[in-house]
Amino acid sequence: MTGWVEMVLKDTYDAIIIGAGHNGLTLGAYLARSGLEVLVLERRHEEGGGLCSEEVTQPGFVHNIHANYHTFVDMAPPVNDLDVRGHGVEYVRPEVQMASIFDDGTALTIHTDMDKTLASMARFSEKDAGTFQRLYGEAHGFIDLLLGTLMYQPPLNVKDLTKALATFGVEDRSEFLSVKLRRQTINQFLDKHFENDRIKAHLAFHGAVCSYTNDVAGLAIGYPLLIGKIDNWHLCVGGSHRLAHALWRDLAQHGGVMWSDAEVTNIIVEGGRAVGVRTADGIELKARKIVASTVSVEQTFLEFVNPGEIPDAFAKRVQNDVVHKDWSLFSVHMAMNAFPEYTAAEFDPDVNRAWVVNLGIESTAQMDRDWKTLRSGQLVDPQPNAAVNSLYDPVDAPAGFSTGLLRQFAPYALADGGAGAWDKMGRWYGHKCIEAWRRYAPNLTDDKIIDWSVFTPHDIATKLPNMVRGDWMMGEISLANMLDQRPLPELGQYRTPIQGLYMAGSTQHPHGFITFGPGYNALQVIADDIGIEKWWQQI
Amino acid sequence: MPDIYTSDWYEAVKVAINEAVVKIPNAPKDSFTIQVEIVGDGKTPYVADGDMLRFLIRLEEGVCAWYREIDADDPSVKLNYRFTGPGSVFDSIAAGTSDPIDAALTGTIKVRGDMRFLMRQAEMVQVLLKAYSQGVDTTWPKGRPPYDGVG
Repeated sequence: MTGWVEMVLKDTYDAIIIGAGHNGLTLGAYLARSGLEVLVLERRHEEGGGLCSEEVTQPGFVHNIHANYHTFVDMAPPVNDLDVRGHGVEYVRPEVQMASIFDDGTALTIHTDMDKTLASMARFSEKDAGTFQRLYGEAHGFIDLLLGTLMYQPPLNVKDLTKALATFGVEDRSEFLSVKLRRQTINQFLDKHFENDRIKAHLAFHGAVCSYTNDVAGLAIGYPLLIGKIDNWHLCVGGSHRLAHALWRDLAQHGGVMWSDAEVTNIIVEGGRAVGVRTADGIELKARKIVASTVSVEQTFLEFVNPGEIPDAFAKRVQNDVVHKDWSLFSVHMAMNAFPEYTAAEFDPDVNRAWVVNLGIESTAQMDRDWKTLRSGQLVDPQPNAAVNSLYDPVDAPAGFSTGLLRQFAPYALADGGAGAWDKMGRWYGHKCIEAWRRYAPNLTDDKIIDWSVFTPHDIATKLPNMVRGDWMMGEISLANMLDQRPLPELGQYRTPIQGLYMAGSTQHPHGFITFGPGYNALQVIADDIGIEKWWQQI
Repeated sequence: MPDIYTSDWYEAVKVAINEAVVKIPNAPKDSFTIQVEIVGDGKTPYVADGDMLRFLIRLEEGVCAWYREIDADDPSVKLNYRFTGPGSVFDSIAAGTSDPIDAALTGTIKVRGDMRFLMRQAEMVQVLLKAYSQGVDTTWPKGRPPYDGVG
């Protein structure tokens, strides 16, 4: 090292973490709090990864370019362990969490007040409202167990899990849990328990927004957890990036270093053990104890590690067997001088206060048709979900103004032109998404929209290359890619074929989203391996 | 027949657990400590409303080594699990009239600790719970749940 870099960086750290997304920062902060010398290296100009908030339309309008929804607040141990609120994060749990507006002007609303949610559902089906009340009650009862069993522990095998459920007789005790869920789609779960198409559509769409595609076999196994947190959606005031900044502050406060604009090109392996990294500008940094990667499996093992340092068979499995999501996200970020006024407010005035609104999703059959279209690389007529953070965030836009975020499920590679075709199609498709929103909120005329910008699936992969093919969950969400099988059985417990090298990002169990889970769970394994007292496990 | 939550009762539970464990083929030989926290809920006559009765269960090499009541968290004891719930629910489990798995599934009893072990050793957990809830002929000097009579 030479010059000013030498003045800031040491030659050697206890732990080097590749990637300063929320998982990398979480792992780094815990290790720093445990007394280790920690360096987190980030390719981009700032920490956060998907937690990026930028003024991409007009000055003063803060848009969450990627991660917008924080659904594990106060469920994920790091929120308290790392004192993110003490570091400046303010979460708001919007009273009207989500709504679905239908083409006949009716609407269904999910509230933090469950009685209001049930009343809204009962307007569509009293029977389904009763079923939902029991499902929510049951899910809320076991959510701590589910989180402790499934989310914030290194993963079990699905066979162990289902065997335990059978041994405990869960099927006889629960109306909704069953070992059969591991073979069922969310559609099948909903069809078994609910009767109203629109309620089913809303519940399925809620799952899809969390990346649980409703027509994929086996995903019913995770559905009760999704219901248990259906009213736990939080907004990070001032932009999601504030969470990343808080995690960085915690890291820094405990002696850790986050170094941005530091692109790792190599993981240095000696004698089968990861001993450091090399950056694009040739700096070599040594790690006494561990190197952890929070970027993609492909980057880690096919780009950073030299051929010959991993078994050929494993390299082939990384090339061929790592599976990515078969749909991505298309976003429109809007700066507005108005708030949406939905025609459906005549039916349910609360839709105007809903943080997130799903537009025109009438049935699960409609969703199924859309998935088929997307998987063939075609665009669907947009039926986006619309989030207006400014309803609950007083600082993300100037007073009297608002931000809007339209999200539409979309293919990464278009059948006509591949992923690169998004550069031509993005603006056109964004306009179609805005038109779709306007059908339900006719006050959002052109003069109300000051500026807008799109973020396509291709943009996701370009800006955040760890999200291979625009895969915002960093790995397919399916039973075959779940728990200890994610992303490959060899990597399922966060260890790798290279001693001292760990995987700690969203490629790992549980998955992407702001869960903190991969970083937190990798920490448990690393602590076991290098002998760190688990001060954070206050049982 | 021991009175609930007395030294004799703890000893009887320990014996019941160990008699059950030896019958489990290939029982795990793990050692761990569980803290049980019984919260006075205004229904149980055995713990004053708002108070907490705490006891530790220590399993060593798969069998119950000791059982003891404590006044407060003991920082020198490293816990593996903590079970917390309303007194009337714990009473009814000890009386064999409520199911501990139901209580955990509904969140009535909160379970903290490494769930993976509990899931992997589900059969042993079932046996231990059965020993706790049905293995001791308990007497109830202040009434048996649902506390409709004395003894």
